[in-house]
Amino acid sequence: MREGAVDYIVKPYNLNVLEESIQKALGPVQAEIKARKDEDKIITGPDIPLSVPENIRSESSSSALIQTLLAIQAQNNYLPEDALIWVSRQLAVPLTRIYNVATFYKAFSLKPQGRHLVSVCMGTACHVREAPRLLDKVTDTLQISPGETTRDLQFSLTTVNCLGCCALGPVMMIDDKYYSNPSIEELKGLFESLRLEKEAV
Amino acid sequence: MVAGNPLKVAVKVKSREDLEKIRKDILEKRDSAKLTVTICSGTGCRAYGSENVYDAFNDEIAKQGLEDKVTMRSTGCHGFCERGTIVVIFPEEICYLRVKPEDVPEIISETLLNGKIIDRLLYEDENGQKLTHESDIPFYKLQNRIVFGNNKFVDPKNIEDYLALGGYSALSKVLSGMTPEQVVEEVKKANLRGRGGGGFSAGVKWETTRNAPGNIKYVIVNADEGDPGAYMDRSLLEGNPHSVLEGLIIGGYAIGANQGYVYVRQEYPLAVENLYVALEQAREYGFIGTDILGSGFDFDVMVHKGAGAFVSGESSALMSAIEGNVGEPRPKYIRTAVSGIWERPSNLNNVETWATVPLILDKGADWFKSIGTENSSGTKIFSLVGKVNNTGLVEVPMGITLREIIYDIGGGIPGGKKFKAVQTGGPSGGVLPESMLDIKVDFDELSRIGSMMGSGGMIVMDETTCMVDVARYFLDFLTDESCGKCTPCREGVHLMLKILNRICAGNGEEGDLEKLEEIADTVQTAALCALGQTAPNPVLSTLKYFRDEYLAHIRDKRCPAGVCKNLISYSIDSAKCKGCGICLRNCPVEAISGEKQKPHTINQAKCTKCGTCLEVCPENFGAVIKLSGGKPVEIAGAR
Repeated sequence: MREGAVDYIVKPYNLNVLEESIQKALGPVQAEIKARKDEDKIITGPDIPLSVPENIRSESSSSALIQTLLAIQAQNNYLPEDALIWVSRQLAVPLTRIYNVATFYKAFSLKPQGRHLVSVCMGTACHVREAPRLLDKVTDTLQISPGETTRDLQFSLTTVNCLGCCALGPVMMIDDKYYSNPSIEELKGLFESLRLEKEAV
Repeated sequence: MVAGNPLKVAVKVKSREDLEKIRKDILEKRDSAKLTVTICSGTGCRAYGSENVYDAFNDEIAKQGLEDKVTMRSTGCHGFCERGTIVVIFPEEICYLRVKPEDVPEIISETLLNGKIIDRLLYEDENGQKLTHESDIPFYKLQNRIVFGNNKFVDPKNIEDYLALGGYSALSKVLSGMTPEQVVEEVKKANLRGRGGGGFSAGVKWETTRNAPGNIKYVIVNADEGDPGAYMDRSLLEGNPHSVLEGLIIGGYAIGANQGYVYVRQEYPLAVENLYVALEQAREYGFIGTDILGSGFDFDVMVHKGAGAFVSGESSALMSAIEGNVGEPRPKYIRTAVSGIWERPSNLNNVETWATVPLILDKGADWFKSIGTENSSGTKIFSLVGKVNNTGLVEVPMGITLREIIYDIGGGIPGGKKFKAVQTGGPSGGVLPESMLDIKVDFDELSRIGSMMGSGGMIVMDETTCMVDVARYFLDFLTDESCGKCTPCREGVHLMLKILNRICAGNGEEGDLEKLEEIADTVQTAALCALGQTAPNPVLSTLKYFRDEYLAHIRDKRCPAGVCKNLISYSIDSAKCKGCGICLRNCPVEAISGEKQKPHTINQAKCTKCGTCLEVCPENFGAVIKLSGGKPVEIAGAR
C-alpha cells in the first residue's frame, strides 16, 4: 500500500469483492473520462479533422499522418485506439506504422493524460540554474515521477528539453502558464486551486 | 489580441512598380511623429505577462479616448529577455524595462501625455547612470542586429509593417531582373554559411540542388530548433516571419523549386500561429501563389509541425518526418540536395539562414562580406543564457570575442561568482574555459578549439557548475533522443552515460576515463548521423579542459563544485549555530533536530541534499557548510 496500491483482497477470493475493488480503483479515472466526454473534449471517428491539404493528397496521403495525430492529441489529450484505427483506414497507412510513429515522437500519448500538463524545463540553461532541484520539489508535491499521471487523472508530469524562457530559469509550465522557480508552498497552492476549479465545474 | 490585416487588398501585387506604389501608400498613411507604443510579445516576455501589459494599455487608452493620438503595436522579441516586459515608445525610442500592468496608467499620464520620463523604468548601468534610448543600452549598442533588429518595428501579424520597412523589395528585385543562376552566384559570393550549425555554404548547396536531375524540387525551412537553451529561430519566426518567407521564395526561384516547406516544432505554438497568419497575408498580396509579381514563377508553402523528437532536426530525418514517417536519419552517401523528400532534390536551410537571404540580395554580397571574418561572413544570433546577467538573444558580427559577448554585452556573471566555462553548439558542442575567452568567434575557430558554432546556444557556467555533471547531462539528453537505428550511437552513448553515472555517484574507477575516450572514438567514427558523431563532444571537451575535476570525482570521491548529490553532504558547524531553528522548520524531510538556542544537527540518513538549510541559514551565522570528499566546498561571491 505504501508503494501506491489502492487496495488489497484476502484469500479465498470473492468475485464480487474483486469487482467492487476494481470499480473503486477505476472510479476516479472513469469519472474524469466521462466528465471530459460531457465537456466535448474527446472526439473520435469522423469528427477527427483530417489535416490533409489538397496539394498533398495526390502525392502521398500518409504524409499527413503526423499532422493528423497531432490534431487528435491536441483535442483528446491522448490517442484513443479507435481514433487510430479510423486514421489507418482513411490514410491507407498500416496500424503498425501508426504505432511506430506514435511511440517514436514525444508529443503523443497512448494513455489519457491528466487534465493539466505540468512541464518542468530541463534545458541546459535551466539545468545550470538548478532545474533538478525544482523537479524534486514538483515530484515531492504531486507524488508522481516524470511520465506519470496522478491517480485522479488531474495532473500529468513531464520534463521538456527547452521552453525557451531562459531568463526565467529554472522555469516550469502548468498548461500554458509559466512559473519561475516556485517554492513548495506556491506549488501546493497552485495544484490545489486547479483541483478545486475542476470540482467547481 | 492584435488587429488583423488592416488594409484589405483587393488586387494582388502585380509587379515591382505595383509593390513600390503600395509601399508608398502605406508610408504616407503613417505619421512618423505619432506616438507609437511597442510591446514585446515574444514567448519570453509573454511568460512575464506582456499580454496583460498590452491589454492594460489598450483598456486605458480606450477609456481616455486616446486612440487617435496613440498607436499600439505588439511586436516580436526584442532580445533583452532578462528585462522583460520591454516597452519602447516611438518616435523618441524611450525604452522601459520590466514593465508591469500597474505601471501603465503612469506611463500614459506621464510619458505619453506629458512627455516626462519615468526614471525607475529605465535601464541603469553599473555606474548608476540611467539610459533612455534602447540603442544606447550597452546590451544593444555592441551588437550588429542586421537580421534580428527589425523585430521591434514589426507586428508579425501585420504584413504592412514589414512592407513599410522595405520588405519584399529583395524578392521583387530578384524576380524582375535576375536569373536564377545569378541569384545562386550572389549567395555563393556572399559566403553565407548555414546558421543551423553545419556551417556549410548555402550557395553551394543551392547550386547542387539546382543542378540535380529532376523537375520537382523542394526548399525547406528547418525550424526544428532542438538545442536546449537556444531559441533564436523561434524568436525570428514569431517576430518577423515574413523575413524568413521572403528568403524562402527567393531560394525557390533560384533553385527551381515551386514548393516550400516549413518544418516547425509543435512546442512553438506562437511561431506556428504567426506563420499561418503571415502565409495568409503573403498569399493575399500575391507574394506566394501563381505568377508572383508578374514573373511567371509559382510558389507555395506548407507548414509541417514536428512532434517532439530532437533527432528530426537532422536534415534526412526531417525529410523522413515530412513524408509521415518516424524521424530517423539515413546514411548520406547521396546528399539530400540530390535525393530528399520522396527522393526529390531538396534544399534545407535554417531559419536564420533564410532570413539573411533577402538582406544579401538587397544590399549585395560585398556588403555582407564586409561584416565578419574572412571565412565567416555576416553576423550570428546567439542565445546567451545560463549564469549570466543579461540573458537574451544577441546578434554579433563574426570575429567578436567570447569575452566581449559574455562580459561587455552579457554583463558578466551574477552574484560575484567566478566564470568557469561557456558551452556552445548545444549537445553537439563543447565547453570552453577562461583561457579561450579571447578567441574570435567564427565557424572555423570554434571547431579548431574543440567546440562548434552549432545553432547558436551559448550557455555560461560558473564555479557552482560541475563539468562532469554537465557531460553526464548531455549524454542523458542524447541517450533519450537517439533514434536507436545504429549501434554505435544507441549502445555507445548509453555506455558512456553509464560510466558517467557511476563517476557522479562516487563509484568511478581507475581506467574509466580511458574507457570513455575509447568508446568516444568509436562512436565518432561509426555513427550514422551527426547526432551520434558529435555526441562524444561534451565529454571530450570537458575531459580536455577539466580533467582534474574528473580525477577528483574518481580518486578523491569529491565534487569540487558541490553538485553531485552522492558526493556532497551538509553539516552544521556547532561553533557557529545559534539554534534559531530556521533550518529545522524549512527542512522538507525533517532531517534536522535540536533544541532552541542550542546547536542543531543534520541526520545524514534522512538528508536528501536539497540545500534548503544552506539557503535559509541567516548570513551572519553562516553555520551550514557543504562538504565534499571531506573538505568544504568553497564558493566565492554572494550565496
